[in-house]
Amino acid sequence: MAVDRAHLHRRYGPYVYGVGREDLRNFTAAVAGGIPGRAFASHVPDHAHLFTWDEDAARAGPHGGLVAAPGFATVFAIEPFAAAVSDPVLGLDLVRLLHGEQELEWREPVRPGDRLETVGEITRIDERGNMDVVQVTTTTTNQHGRVVVRGVWTAVIRR
Amino acid sequence: MKRLGEFAVGDTFRSVREVDPFRPVYYASASGDFNPIHIDPNIGAAAGFRGTILQGMCTYSWAAEACVAYLGDPARLRRLRVRFSRPVQPGDTLTFEGRCVAVEGATLRLELTARNQAGEDVLKNVTAEAVVEDR
Repeated sequence: MAVDRAHLHRRYGPYVYGVGREDLRNFTAAVAGGIPGRAFASHVPDHAHLFTWDEDAARAGPHGGLVAAPGFATVFAIEPFAAAVSDPVLGLDLVRLLHGEQELEWREPVRPGDRLETVGEITRIDERGNMDVVQVTTTTTNQHGRVVVRGVWTAVIRR
Repeated sequence: MKRLGEFAVGDTFRSVREVDPFRPVYYASASGDFNPIHIDPNIGAAAGFRGTILQGMCTYSWAAEACVAYLGDPARLRRLRVRFSRPVQPGDTLTFEGRCVAVEGATLRLELTARNQAGEDVLKNVTAEAVVEDR
């Protein structure tokens, strides 16, 4: 059954996320080939950019301190998308759901201590062959009122 | 750090990532994406795969990481767009290859491919934008 277009522009959030230093470093470790957490944290993950890992190197760099790896945005910005696809009102079958497309636009670095607020809105409900397409657009703003990340999240649901 | 004048159309970059057996679990712990299909090989098998599947956003983050290694600073990457075209599983080896296709003022446009060991695209239509501001 096609997804009801009446849900277009349905909104989710705001969701608040407090960014911790170790959250950033654990994410870097997981992506860069290391192991998150303190027990195995003694070496620098092979693919880590030092501005996202090493406090001293980051302090000497252009941002004056640690910044998040770009992919870290998915940790907090995913929330409206996750809420939408599991929203009982939409009635999507999660077993048949695939993450089809992803776009992130970074406007400002995310830093330890940031307080981020993310809101989202369903911006597309469509059919493509025997698939339903549901797209959620998210906007994350920091404690200074500046947009840090915009995201476009596209789910594809096989019928 | 590399300066704007050192980037040029035609530059290429490459990154190879092996998906070790526990990467989906490590990524789950750092990202919060504990969907059972990433954790439990039996669930993956029931869905027709040989065990767990790596989170798409980990592959996405590897594409971002390849761009960042080329750019020299994580904050220079301003946009990354991908289509997920094939699942990635532990045991796979992914090769990310990127190319600078335009330099417009301080903005660089990049295009990437992401292929597994069989040469199949795991991401398609991968485009990125970066801004390089000399300080």
